[in-house]
Formats: sequence, structure tokens, C-alpha cells
Amino acid sequence: MFNLIRRDLIIQKYHILIFIPFILFFIIMNSHPALIFLVASIFIPFNTFGYDEKVKTNILLNSLPYTRNEIIASRYIGAIVYMLLSIGLTSLALYLFNKPFTITDIAIGCSLFLLFVAFTFPLFYVLKPGHITTVVLISFIILAGIGPPIVMFLAEHLTAITRFINALSMTEIYIAGTVIVMVAYSLSWGLTTFIYQRKAF
Amino acid sequence: METIVELENVTKEFKGFSIKNMNLQVKQGFVTGFIGENGAGKSTTIKLMMNLLKPDSGKVKLFGLDYNQHEKEIKERIGFVYDGNVFFEGLNLRDIKRIVAPAYKRWDDELFYRYVEQFHLPLNKAIKTFSKGMQMKASLAIALSHNAELIIMDEPTAGLDPIFRRELLELLQELMVDGKRTIFFSTHITTDLDRIADYIAYIHDGELVFNQSMEEIADHFALVKGGLDLLDRDTEKSFIHVHRASTGFEALTNNIEEVNELFGDSVVIERASLEDIMYYMKGGIQHV
Repeated sequence: MFNLIRRDLIIQKYHILIFIPFILFFIIMNSHPALIFLVASIFIPFNTFGYDEKVKTNILLNSLPYTRNEIIASRYIGAIVYMLLSIGLTSLALYLFNKPFTITDIAIGCSLFLLFVAFTFPLFYVLKPGHITTVVLISFIILAGIGPPIVMFLAEHLTAITRFINALSMTEIYIAGTVIVMVAYSLSWGLTTFIYQRKAF
Repeated sequence: METIVELENVTKEFKGFSIKNMNLQVKQGFVTGFIGENGAGKSTTIKLMMNLLKPDSGKVKLFGLDYNQHEKEIKERIGFVYDGNVFFEGLNLRDIKRIVAPAYKRWDDELFYRYVEQFHLPLNKAIKTFSKGMQMKASLAIALSHNAELIIMDEPTAGLDPIFRRELLELLQELMVDGKRTIFFSTHITTDLDRIADYIAYIHDGELVFNQSMEEIADHFALVKGGLDLLDRDTEKSFIHVHRASTGFEALTNNIEEVNELFGDSVVIERASLEDIMYYMKGGIQHV
């Protein structure tokens, strides 16, 4: 399974060269650190999907001695591994550029990334190959565009929820957030495995 | 004689096409050629063997093992070559080896480099720059480098030039020397099979028509030529299919003895090539 995770790096060894300027661009543009952590984490796992959309890759992986469970597990574990690596690199870059950031930024970046993975990974196995990357990119932009206003709207109008959240301590919010992310991630993992088991190549 | 691949009553339905009740056994230590027209179900059958497709009903067993419990053990022992490149196009052969090799416990680097040298394959050029023949050689080098007991190939000779085709067949013959390996490959170039196949499995419209040794085929099938006056409703029963021309008839039989008895010297009996058999049997076995 470790081989399947390492595979992403071999496939993308040239893309990784773009990774550094990619992060630097966001740093120089003075983006919010949490956003930088998010986009940096997305970089490697979603690039791999660009490759794996091609049906032939699935034929190859499934003809090698791997089970379908392992192939999906490598995706979900790999996403976490590459997220951690990206956070390390991004932190280093931010530090070198003297941009302040907090653990909260990392936590927010991670949570958003994991939620994004949880919602999009199953789509890669449901939608027709060739359209997926486009769909995911567009939905990312739309979500980023309309997500915050919706949250603001809900915050203003559903005061009960807002009051409830305000009443929670910081620790409780962190714990609740972690649990939500973990549950969403596990459900997504299970769902993708279920879909992939039934796929024909 | 051990059975390496066993399909038992396998059925797989698609829109407008299906594999029906397929019973197929591939014997250990032999080369089995898998023939049939385009769209007859060759690739689907191979995908069922590789567990890329799951049967709607019936059982698929390899090495006597079931995919449900032994998927990894089974695939560890198979070398595969598909029609067309399944490797990452942008990568070179060295990187592809880096991805594929760790998947196999019995991967042999030395063997791999020996094949690379034998096939004159460049290690540092992207696969997409390879010609069709070179891509095929690269797939083969990878398929052969982990001491697979069973080699499954889907149309390996399609699109190759005659010289490389012959080299490939010679190489496959060399691989068979130790008697333990089994090769199963589909093709529609039947002359390839005359050279190396021990068994022929013929599929037509999703159904296995026969799976027989080359000798059995030579013993059973023959082309019969004679004058039209010999044909009537009774004599035609000895043939699978009759082709009439103004100069006489040509027919395929799978009962040489009966034809001999019936017509004696009045007809010419010739050996039927695989191509003749495929051509005349395209309507399935149905005595006229």
C-alpha cells in the first residue's frame, strides 16, 4: 500500500517543481494562511486524480496484486500523508517569508481540505472520466464564492444555532469540528470503497 | 493435467451483448489461443479472468483459488499484457518499473534489465514516444519480470509488424520450455496460433464454441470440396456450413469419417485452417 502512495510522487515528480512557486504566489499575494494551507494540501492528491481519471490507470492498478480496498485506502491515507507534507513545506515557506500564522490557521486549512476530500473523492468514481476535474474545480470555486455568504446568512437568521455555537467554549468547538471532519472523512472512505468495489473496467 | 484458469457457468450481461454460460478451462503448461471475431467477447472474458469485471453468475477460479479470498495471491502469479498501453504515458520505463516492481513479491530486477536489453528498450524516454511495437515490448518486459506462472495477453500481436510478431512468438516459445508456465492469449490473427498454440478456444457471440487441442481440431475439422450434384438434404447434414459456387461447393465438416463414408473419392478433403473454421462457423454450429 505504501507503494501506491509513493506512486503519486513518482508520477508527479515534475509537478512538484511547480509546487514551490505555487505556494510562493499565494504567500506573496498575502493570502490568508489557512487558505494557503488548504490549496497546498490539495495540490498533490488532486493532481494524481487528473492522471487516474483515465480508465487505463484503473486497469493497471487492478491487474497488479492490489485489492480494490487497498487502492481506495491508499487514496485516503495518501491524502493525509501529502497534506501533512504540504503543511510542513508551507509552514517553512511562511516562516522564511516572515508571514505570521497560527496553529488555528493550520487546523482550519486541514479541516477544510479533509472536508473537500470527503465530498469530492467519491465523485471521482461516480462521474464519467474526463469531466471530473472540471466539475471539481468549478464546484470548488463556486463553494468558495457562495459558501461564506451562505454561512453569514445562516448565522444572521438562524440565531438559535449561532447562540448555541457562541455558548460553546473554544475547546468544545475544536472537538466538535474534529469529530465532524473525522466522521465525514470515514463515511466518504466507506462510500468510495463501496462504489469502487462495484466498478467494471 | 492441472487446470490453471476455470470459468464455470459464467454469465455477464451488458446492454446488447452478453457472455452466456461460459465454461472454459485453461490447462497448465500449454499455450492456449483464444480466437473469435471482433466483438465476440474475447476482451470481456479476459477481463473476467483478471477480475476487472465480476460475473453476474458463475465462478471464476485461477490456480484453483477464488478472487474473493485470494485476489492478491492470484494476481501475484499473473503477468498481463493488454491491447494498448495501460502505463502512465508521460513516464519513462524506469519510473514505470519503480511503480510496478514493488507491487510484486517475486519481482526480479536483473531479469527485467535483461529483457530491456534484449528488446532494445530505452529506459529514459516517455512511453508515449514509443511505437506500438515498443509499447508492446515494454508491457511484455514488465509482465515477464516477476516469474509469473500464467501469462494473459489480450491481442498482443495486433498492430505489430510481421518480424516482431515472429520474434514475440519465438520468445513465448522459449518461455514455455520449463513446462510450468501457461500462456493464454487472444488474437484474431490465426496464423500466429498455428506456430505456437497447443489449444484453441473459439468464442462466438459470447459463447464458447469449442476448446480443443490443435491435434483434435486437425482430426475433427476438414474442408470438403466437390461437385454440386453431390449435395442433397441428407448429405448436407454432414456439414457445418456449405458454401455454394457455380463450380462446386466448399464445406466445413467436423465429422471427417462420415464424409469419407458418404462421398468416398468423389470429394476432395483438405485440412481446415483456423481461419476456415472461424469463417464457416461464424453462424455457430448448426447442421444445414
